[in-house]
Amino acid sequence: MPIHDQGYQRYLGTRSAIGRSWQVMTRAGVMSVITKRVFIGMMLWAWAPFVVRAVQIYVSEAFAQASFLAAKGETFREFLDQQGLFVFFVTIYVGAGLIANDRRANAMQLYLSKPMTSAEYIAGKLAILCIFLTGVTFLPAMMLLLTQAILAGNLTFIRNNIYLVPAITLYSAALVLLASTTMLALSSMSKSSRFVAVMYAGLFFFTLALFNALRGITGTSAFAWLAPTAALQQLGDVIFRLQPRYQLSPALAALAVIVLIAGSIVILMRRVRGVEIVT
Amino acid sequence: MMPATQSGTGNREPGTGNALVHADGVSKWYGQVSGLNNVTVSIPPGVTGLLGPNGAGKSTFMKLMTGQLKPSQGTIRVLGEPIWGNPEVFARIGFCPEQDAFYDRMTGLEWVTALVRLNGLNDAEADAAAKRAIDRVDLMEAANKKIGAYSKGMRQRIKLAQALVHDPELLILDEPLTGMDPIMRRKTIRLIKDWARAGKHIIVSSHILHEIESMTSNILLINNGRIVAEGNVHQIRDLIDTHPHTVYVRGANPRALARQFLTEDDVLSMKFEDDAVVVETARPDSFYARLTELAASGEAGQIDEVQSPDDNLQAVFKYLVKQ
Repeated sequence: MPIHDQGYQRYLGTRSAIGRSWQVMTRAGVMSVITKRVFIGMMLWAWAPFVVRAVQIYVSEAFAQASFLAAKGETFREFLDQQGLFVFFVTIYVGAGLIANDRRANAMQLYLSKPMTSAEYIAGKLAILCIFLTGVTFLPAMMLLLTQAILAGNLTFIRNNIYLVPAITLYSAALVLLASTTMLALSSMSKSSRFVAVMYAGLFFFTLALFNALRGITGTSAFAWLAPTAALQQLGDVIFRLQPRYQLSPALAALAVIVLIAGSIVILMRRVRGVEIVT
Repeated sequence: MMPATQSGTGNREPGTGNALVHADGVSKWYGQVSGLNNVTVSIPPGVTGLLGPNGAGKSTFMKLMTGQLKPSQGTIRVLGEPIWGNPEVFARIGFCPEQDAFYDRMTGLEWVTALVRLNGLNDAEADAAAKRAIDRVDLMEAANKKIGAYSKGMRQRIKLAQALVHDPELLILDEPLTGMDPIMRRKTIRLIKDWARAGKHIIVSSHILHEIESMTSNILLINNGRIVAEGNVHQIRDLIDTHPHTVYVRGANPRALARQFLTEDDVLSMKFEDDAVVVETARPDSFYARLTELAASGEAGQIDEVQSPDDNLQAVFKYLVKQ
């Protein structure tokens, strides 16, 4: 009978280079979400507008009487505006517990005692949300552009509206980054994912309500910078070469978005640590 | 045994040498509360026990050693390198925190596998390493059960498994025996000794002295955020022997015993308790020698029991940390 070594066997395999832990974090997060039926349903629902738009493009290409349904530059702006609803739900569903659950489980002290910095931890968590949000913004919008070319059988539309490629990319990036960083910052501030979800929804609706109230009182929409969604819409109009909807300087709208993203990152860097310090 | 000075610096050489951990003037404040106060200490290779009552600063020191906290002042080097913001050193350390840090819905195997992936192992290697580590802490039969269903002792063991799963050089164990039953406690102590024999360096904290004493003779005593003393048990006893030492002697005739004790000047004070006399001596070596002769001669009657509360580490600790 062979006698096996019962002692601890040293690990002699290879290890990934330091600095890649965020990928492990992202992979684990993505895998844990995509297996949930609710999430799969949510993603299917989020792609329904794409299917509707694709059918509209098909009909406009196939039937001359329906040419009013043909895709225009604004179509993609409107499409991304519509996707804002799904961005809201996916952000809450995926993002609320991303850090809050780790805080509740006390897991951060272990994660950060491994070869992983807090910046990598944040990057890993941010990537989870960014991947899913890109899946409901950038990806369907670009697919829609591609579908138009395929159904039209030529690249004329894309050639005539080549600005749409960078516009979709830039606006989607702004939308995804704003939602992800804001949600992660909120998630780092609580141990309850439900509370985080309520805070995020509160921030969303309260700022919009505040802006609309001031708009009603003052008669000007210059306060759009108060509501992140309004500031982003203003920015979107400029990016898609449309008439801006609010009386707000695009630079100020961009500044409001940048300040919110930067502020969220500062909060994250302060809140994500292995040891919670209460002073 | 070397009692630390008030500043915690002592009079030792500050060079790091082959020290596992070298703290140089390290302080940590939580707002206005001091967690660690100007600590300078070198922890040698091997097993070192960090002893102190709850709130003494043990966990703060361990979190500084594992790079989870940045010192407010001073520097701390682990395995020869600065630990703060140096994840390459984190890969060489295994940390078992005092608090639970679990997702209850995960199984023990899933949890350890997920954590070891952060050390750069691929899926297959991570799975194999996790199984080895779980087997090492004798938890294989519960590896596929959800952590939520684990007992306190099992939780402690799975935490130990995640600490050693990536085969670190240095294990930092914060109160690892808490909540374990006596049998598991003995097994874990044996495990820790085995790891030490296998060449791992271990820093283990506890507020229970006999736990530490059963694992190592090399200890650091910490209280109120300061290193009170460091050294081995024998040195502690040498130190304690220079201070009043209490001996409880129970015999057939306590008054006769007391009369014999008073014939020499090594006795500082005495008091009677039921069938015993409790003696405080400044020279325990000479007192014990005399006591042995007295018992052999039978001059003061039969001596039934001799105890010295100072002979156990608890009393030493109480003496060293008293205000």
